[in-house]
Amino acid sequence: MQAKITSAIETRQTGNKVVVSGIVAIVVILTTVAILLFSNLPDANIFNAHVEQLFVENASLTGQAEIKLLEILAQSGTAFSATLDSYRFVIFVLLVFATALLIASVMFLVTLITMNRWMGKIERKGIEVNSLLISREQNMVYLNDFEFKLTDAAIETLSVLAEARMDNEVLSGAEIEGVISGRPSSDCEEAAGATRIKRLRDTLGNQMISELLVRNIARRGYMLAIDKDVIRIV
Amino acid sequence: MKNLIHITFAILVVSSTAQAACFVDYKAKRDDPLQLHYGVAEIIGTCLLEDALVELTPRLAAEDWQLLNILSVFNDDGLGKRLVNAGENYLRY
Repeated sequence: MQAKITSAIETRQTGNKVVVSGIVAIVVILTTVAILLFSNLPDANIFNAHVEQLFVENASLTGQAEIKLLEILAQSGTAFSATLDSYRFVIFVLLVFATALLIASVMFLVTLITMNRWMGKIERKGIEVNSLLISREQNMVYLNDFEFKLTDAAIETLSVLAEARMDNEVLSGAEIEGVISGRPSSDCEEAAGATRIKRLRDTLGNQMISELLVRNIARRGYMLAIDKDVIRIV
Repeated sequence: MKNLIHITFAILVVSSTAQAACFVDYKAKRDDPLQLHYGVAEIIGTCLLEDALVELTPRLAAEDWQLLNILSVFNDDGLGKRLVNAGENYLRY
């Protein structure tokens, strides 16, 4: 049991590490992508460089009108590079969005995985008591969504145990008998308390088992209240 | 007679300097925004392409022009046909 708890904590710790490293990885990857994108976008001067190259390579391009045209060509390229700058900004915003969404999806994924594990644990454990409501007047006990009808004596025992639990106390058989019968516990026998516990276990256990496992269908018989796919016989 | 010698000498000197006159046509640029220009310049030093390059570069740089290349080296005969294309950059720098 102890080993299991330790491993559970370890899984949580490694899980946290995975989450952190995952998020860091996403940020690193997207930052690299951003840097690559920004560095690979054509530079504004590339147009000017091309025009210049044209001018140098063609010896006949010496007319004044031709030179003027080349300058206009270079200027339109520069204008286009201003458009590219706005593209850069849009790309940057989109990258930020992508980062946020990826981080969010990793978080959701991790939450889903932990939730799944938790659900699996609950399923294996059978029943986890989230609420226990004792109704003395109706002699009823509500465990989560199940309701069980108990005898007066069993309700009394359960109430004593519940009160002791709330005070973080452990009661011996004699003490239980003492509280219920109103006598000092030194006068009571251990066996009397044990009997009360046994009766409580029997009635509550029987009803729980009938609710959870062995269902009694009126005038027909008994059936296991579980999915047939989960049964394995070794 | 002495006068004649003087005159001949003067003519010789003038014609020799006229023959030595050396010009180049070149291409240059300015950045931000890109400006291009084609011009003709006189070279005072030796009439060689390499020397012209060395001489012309600082002269253009003084006016913030960057010399791209020199197309050709020529003498007086070549001036006329390059006048139109060089326009305001004819013998400007």
